Order: sequence, then C-alpha cells, then structure tokens
Amino acid sequence: MAVRPADYPPPFDVAEVIAAPSDPPDERIDVGLLIVGAGPAGLACAIRFGQLLEDAPELAERLGDVPVAVVEKGKQPGSHLLSGAVVNPRALRRLFRGRKRLEDLPFYGPVEAESVYFLTPKSKTRIPAPPTMRNHGNHVASLSQLGRFLAEEAESAGATILPETAADRLLVEGGRVLGIRTGDKGRGRNGEELPNFEPGSDLVARVTVLAEGTQGHLTGAAIEQFGLEGENPQVWALGVKEVWRVAAPLRRVIHTMGWPLRAGARYREFGGSFCYPMGDDMVTLGMVVGLDYRDVELSPHDVLQELKTHPLFRRILRGGERLAWGAKTIPEGGFLSLPKRLHAPGLLLCGDGPGLVNVPALKGIHYAIESGALAAETAFAALQPGQTPWTPGALDSYDEALRDSFVWSDLQEVRNMRQAFGKGFWLGGALAGAMTASKGRFPPKPLGTEPDAVQTLIRTKRARRYPQPDGILTFDKLSSVYASGNKTRDDQPSHIRIANPVARDVGEAWARMCPAQVYEVADGRSANEVTVQVTPSNCVQCGAITAKGGRLTPPEGGSGPEYTLT
Amino acid sequence: MSILVLLEHHGDELQKGSLSVLSKAASLGAGDVYGVVAGSGVRGLAAGAGKYGASKVFVADDPALEAPLPQPRVDVLAKLVEEQGIDTVLLAQSVLAADVAAGLAARLDAGLNWELVDLEEQDGKLVGTRPALADSVYVKVGWKDTPRIGIFRSGTFDPKETGGEAEVVDTPVQLEDFSSAATMVEQAHEEQQGPSIEDADVIVAGGRGLGGPENFSLVEELAKALGGAVAATRAVVDAGWYPYATQVGQTGKTVSPKLYIACGISGAIQHKVGMQSSSVIVAINKDPNAPIFEYSDLGVVGDVHEVVPKLTELVKQRKGS
Repeated sequence: MAVRPADYPPPFDVAEVIAAPSDPPDERIDVGLLIVGAGPAGLACAIRFGQLLEDAPELAERLGDVPVAVVEKGKQPGSHLLSGAVVNPRALRRLFRGRKRLEDLPFYGPVEAESVYFLTPKSKTRIPAPPTMRNHGNHVASLSQLGRFLAEEAESAGATILPETAADRLLVEGGRVLGIRTGDKGRGRNGEELPNFEPGSDLVARVTVLAEGTQGHLTGAAIEQFGLEGENPQVWALGVKEVWRVAAPLRRVIHTMGWPLRAGARYREFGGSFCYPMGDDMVTLGMVVGLDYRDVELSPHDVLQELKTHPLFRRILRGGERLAWGAKTIPEGGFLSLPKRLHAPGLLLCGDGPGLVNVPALKGIHYAIESGALAAETAFAALQPGQTPWTPGALDSYDEALRDSFVWSDLQEVRNMRQAFGKGFWLGGALAGAMTASKGRFPPKPLGTEPDAVQTLIRTKRARRYPQPDGILTFDKLSSVYASGNKTRDDQPSHIRIANPVARDVGEAWARMCPAQVYEVADGRSANEVTVQVTPSNCVQCGAITAKGGRLTPPEGGSGPEYTLT
Repeated sequence: MSILVLLEHHGDELQKGSLSVLSKAASLGAGDVYGVVAGSGVRGLAAGAGKYGASKVFVADDPALEAPLPQPRVDVLAKLVEEQGIDTVLLAQSVLAADVAAGLAARLDAGLNWELVDLEEQDGKLVGTRPALADSVYVKVGWKDTPRIGIFRSGTFDPKETGGEAEVVDTPVQLEDFSSAATMVEQAHEEQQGPSIEDADVIVAGGRGLGGPENFSLVEELAKALGGAVAATRAVVDAGWYPYATQVGQTGKTVSPKLYIACGISGAIQHKVGMQSSSVIVAINKDPNAPIFEYSDLGVVGDVHEVVPKLTELVKQRKGS
C-alpha cells in the first residue's frame, strides 16, 4: 500500500511555540529592535538599522541600553550558515553605500567562466547556460565566512549579538508580537534540570524581525498564527556540500544536471550539482535535490558521494582532501509560496524564512540582505515619535518596499519554474524555457504545488548504486557529521519530533534522507511498521525532516554544526 | 623565561593532568619552571611536584581557597605573575582551570591559547599546537606579548618523573573584594567503583556490538580482572545501556590509558578522537571492515560474546599463578 510521510504527522502543535511573556515585567530583557538569526538577512537588518540610528541619536537613546539585539542559535555567527555560494553583490553594495568596496568583502573573486553540463554516468554534454544561471559579475563566497564578516560589521554598527541562544517561542499578546523567549539550557535527556541549568528569558522588543533562514522555527509558527499562508504551500530542496583542498586550481564555476538524478516524471528528482572555486587551492561542491522526491532509498548525501565518482569531478578532486561538509534545506516554492504578507503587528519576516529564493537562478543571499535592509528601514520609520509599530498596518511599508524592489520583480518572473519540474526533467526544461522567454507570463494560470510530505513513496533499489565510502573520495555520514564540526552535547532533550512507530517505508525514507544519520530503523515490530531510533546530537539542523513529515525544533543554543568554510 | 603551572588537586593528590603539563613545561628547558598549589590545607602536597620538574612550588594555603571557585585563584596567580616576573602561565584543561584561565587573561590583559596539544620553544618564543576544523588539521599558535596563558587539552600527555626536588614557598593570600562574591553552595560527588576513566591505566570499552545492556557484565568482568575502568560509546550511552559519565569520544571524555580494549565498537571518528592517544589499542569486533581495525595495534575478528569471557578467564589464570 502506498504511504505518504504526511500520514504520520509529528506530535507538535504550533500553540506550543506561541506564548505570552512569563517572566515578571522587571525581569524581562528589553531591547529596541530584536532580530532572530545572525544570517545575511538578520545582520543586514542590524547594519542598516545601525546606519539609520547614527543620525538619530534621540531615537537611539529612547531604545535603551540595547537598541539592537541579534539572537543566534549557533556557537557563533556563521556556525549555521551554509550555501553554494555565488553571490550577486547588488544588495551588499546598496547596504554599504560606498562605505565598503567589493575588495573589502570576504569573496573568493568574481566568476570568470562558467560551464553547465548534462551528465550521464560516464560522460558529460556541455549545454548553454540558461539565462537565469548566468553568473557574470557575481562572486564566489563562503556564506559562513560572509556571515562572520557581517557580524563584525553589525557589532561595529552598535548591535549586540547573542550567540548560543535559541529563539524558542514567539511572545504574542493581544494579537501583537512582543518578542521571543529564549530556550532553556542545561536540561537532561528527560527534561530534568542538570546542575548547570539556566532557564530561558523573555526578550521583549518594539519590533521583532524573524530572519531565521530556511525552516524557521518561529517563522513557520508566525505564518500559521497570523494566517499569512500564501497561494501555494512551501516546498524545499536539500543541499549537501563539501569543501575540498585541491591540487590544481579550478578556474570556472560548474553546474550539472542529469545523473545521478533520474529524469523520469515518476521519480520527481529535481536538482543538480554545483562546483565553485574558492581561491587557488580550494573548491566547494554540492548536490541539491528537491524534497518532493518519492524514492524511499534516495539519500542526497550518498547521491553527492556518487556524483564525485564521475570523471569530471574525480579529475578536479584528484590529490585533494576534504576539509568540511554540511547540509541545509532551501525553500523552493518561489513567488507563489510567499506568505501573503511579510509582516504582522510588531513583526517582520526576512530572507529564506518566508522563502525569498530564486530557484532557477540558485540565489537567495542578495534577497535576504535586501529584505533585511528594507525591514530595518520600516522598523526605523515605525519607531519614530508618534508611531506605534504594533498597530495593524503600521508595518505595511515593508511589503510595499519589497514589492517595489528587485526582489519582487526577479521572483515574479520565475514564479512557475520550480513547479514545472514536477513534470520531469525534459518537459520541465521545455516549460522553463517558455517561461523565461515570456518573462513569467507563460503559463497564464499558476502551476500548483503540493507539500513535499504528501508525495507517495516508491522503492527502486537505488541504494545499490551508492559507492562504498573509501575515506578518500567518498565518505559515510558519521564521518561527515564530524567534518561539520558538530559536537552537540548528547544528554539533552531531543529536539526532533516525529511520529513513532511509522510505516516501514516512511522510517526508511527518513533514515536515507537524513544526511547526518539521525534516524535509524530499529529491528522488530512488524514487516510494515517500524520504530525509528533517533540520535538528535548528530543533527546538523538542515530542516529536511520538517519538509518530509516531522518537525525540527531548536535544540539548546550552541548545539549543531560549527561551520566555518561552508 | 619563567613558567608557572597551576597544580590542581583532588583530595590529597595532585591531578595527573596538571602534573603532565608541569613535566611538559620542564621538558622545554626554557628557563625556570614553577608550580602553584592553591587550596586549604594543601601545603603537604607541594613537595610532590618536584619530581615532575618544578624547581619551586608556591603554596597559597587559605580557607578562602577551600571551594573550587575561580576568582580567588585568579587573585593568587595574578599576584604571582606580577611579583615573580612570571611570563607564562600554563594550565591543564578542567572546568575550574578554564574559568581561572579566562579570568586571569582578562585580569592581566594577556593572550590565551586553549586546547593546546603541544608546546615548543622556537628562538626564544613559545609556539603551541592546537587542533582546528574539528580536529582535521593542527595549527601553530603563538602569543604576541607576555604574559602568555596556555591551557592544554586533557589527556594529551602523561606526567614524566624526572627526579629533582622543589623548594616550597608560601605565598600570602590577598583576595580582591569581588572575589568572594561567589560562594559554593553544595558539592556533589559521583559515586563510582574502581578508577575513573580519565585516570585509569587500563580501559575496557563496550559498544553496540555487545547486543544489549545485560552483556556489559562481560566488559565489567574483564575490566575487573585487569584492574581497569569501564567505558562506553555514544551509541550505547544514547541507548541507555550505560551512564553518560563513562562515554568516551568527541562529546564524551578524552582518555589515554596504557591499554584500551574496544569490545564491539565499530570505531567511528567521533569515538576515535576520544581514545586515539591510548598507548596500545586492542579491538574485538566481528566485522573485519570495522574502521576501528585501521587504528588498532591488535585486532581480533570475532564475536565479543565468545572472545571476551575467554580473555577474562586467561587474565585471571595469569594473575592467579
């Protein structure tokens, strides 16, 4: 019988995440602007707000001791940032307004040349780069490094960054967002208080900006709480990538389509690979797979390992050494999956959280930065004397500014492309071509999207093709988790919510899907039903489980990967 | 150069980790090496540091130093650094030492390198080695200025006896007002039998290959026969078969016994980094492709349920005869 992960909803209720403040008023921590997430969106917001405050000392004064706070669940800014990445510098230029030159930014240089290939197991065919994928004028970067740089800029602009702090709950009272409650620290496996227990705190703010990135814990809850769902549900892809030290420099950026993914419509395997030079002695390469895939045995981590056995990549990596590994989901629903508003009373949503990603162009960082900066401008205006940022409509100008920006026009042009690939690679490719030519006016009626978790599962014995890890070119999941820098404390409560037991296909699909070996199917029970054993401390918080029928919540602050090069 | 090593004590013994750092400092041959013992009623412990290379041991003996709190120790160290012209303070990783090192760095505005696994002198400068990128590479670190503070990863070296006697010097304790702001409310000790896994010369460790918690008795009996301690992998601790305090590996403890016997442990890198510096590693696993065999000195491909009891038997016979 065909099963769907959505048939096994996780024990999770959005009401758990929405709460009224619980600390007595004099124990709450008051800040002016509260930003959740030290990624490109949140840090751009902090930097832009700091710039505006420079010329408004009386407002800065009114906002108290901490005019801007950024909470970050990772060990430090950048610890949880992972992307390709080829960055369009447009939004960074606007953000720094001449105060920084491109040479001051931690980039590995402009894209000099690019190739797009269609792969078969042993050969490659060069195809012209689709217009959306042309990268002239863009720069290769490690998002983790860019995040650390932006964090320093945000601190010099006056922001207080609070790392190792999870935003656990959204504080809402009288229909207005008041801030967040941070997560407890020092709880044991069963939730008991260990000797180093520290309870979370209520952080209250005039305006709260959620810039949590993909699968934002509070962003998802806020969208539900305030009824902001867009036309289509959101869908995600999972990207797994590695950074290598290489013997010979790579002089171009490479994208591939085709193998190891399968073109047939029934598999729903949409994705591709990327390989970018990071200076003369490093490259990064990764594989991105849409999470609406159906095969129980599909494992994006192992597909990346398979990809590296292709002659094209073997040659690039020969004599090299893997330095880092990581994984993260990417919101792929595009324009039609955006929330119908990106604000609520006292609240603004930025970046990947609400889904500001251009899938055909493989870009979202510059939208994150632009949306963060626009959020700062809206918050600044709403904090002027006589304004109240929590009255309905007070933050409308954020949506208006976003609609007037390049973010909106870019996303609108490619609004149906991801959906087209649900029809398989060939038909999808043809439809995407027509969409590009018509700048998004074709097709006249939007294509529908279904949540990733409602795809029925199939089995195709795909796992037999995955290479045996050799520890040189190909790696198993556990040593990869190690390479992510993850050293999460084991004896803390599990932050992963899944139904248990589940249908065997669902349990095995999770075990294969997860790049970090969080899920294992325990023996026993029956042929059709299995218990899933969870190892939460392996988790690199990629978010795939939320797309595919479970729910990721933030673990204790400071847990998870410690990315530095990704 | 003049190096001061904080010697932590537990009960009436100086900690192995501190003595390891002391003997490492002495082996540099780079000037004077001193120790400092801080506590209440600890004067008798000081002389013992001589054979690990300290030429002088300062004793800060005061009831205010009874509790293992960092600030009073920062006061003691800061005063010694200023009065004795100390240019380098070294510590062995512990919860207390990490707090002391951070406090001292702030007090003296000194550079702090942490997680050191080695230290050498190069042209009158000290150069440390520490892991980076999750232990995948080692990087050299130095200090721009003095005083320098360095804290060593636990279990990195063994203490080396080099003979010698230390002059024991009492140093008066003067505490800053704010140093008594924190008080110890309660101290709890974890009950355990046999040596702790950080101090044991022999460790017998069990992994998921044991099949179930009841089979840990096999590991316990072998450990008992060898006079060693029992350790466990993350997988079995996660599964609730054995307490977290015995977990060896990246997110558990780092150990370096003379003999490490791994029973039914596949040997993922997360485990390896916690025990790879053991002198002799013996692995028993039925899977000949288990990664643990790549870094074992002796490997037995076989069923732990058969091999371990026989091994226990043989050890008992040898010891008995």
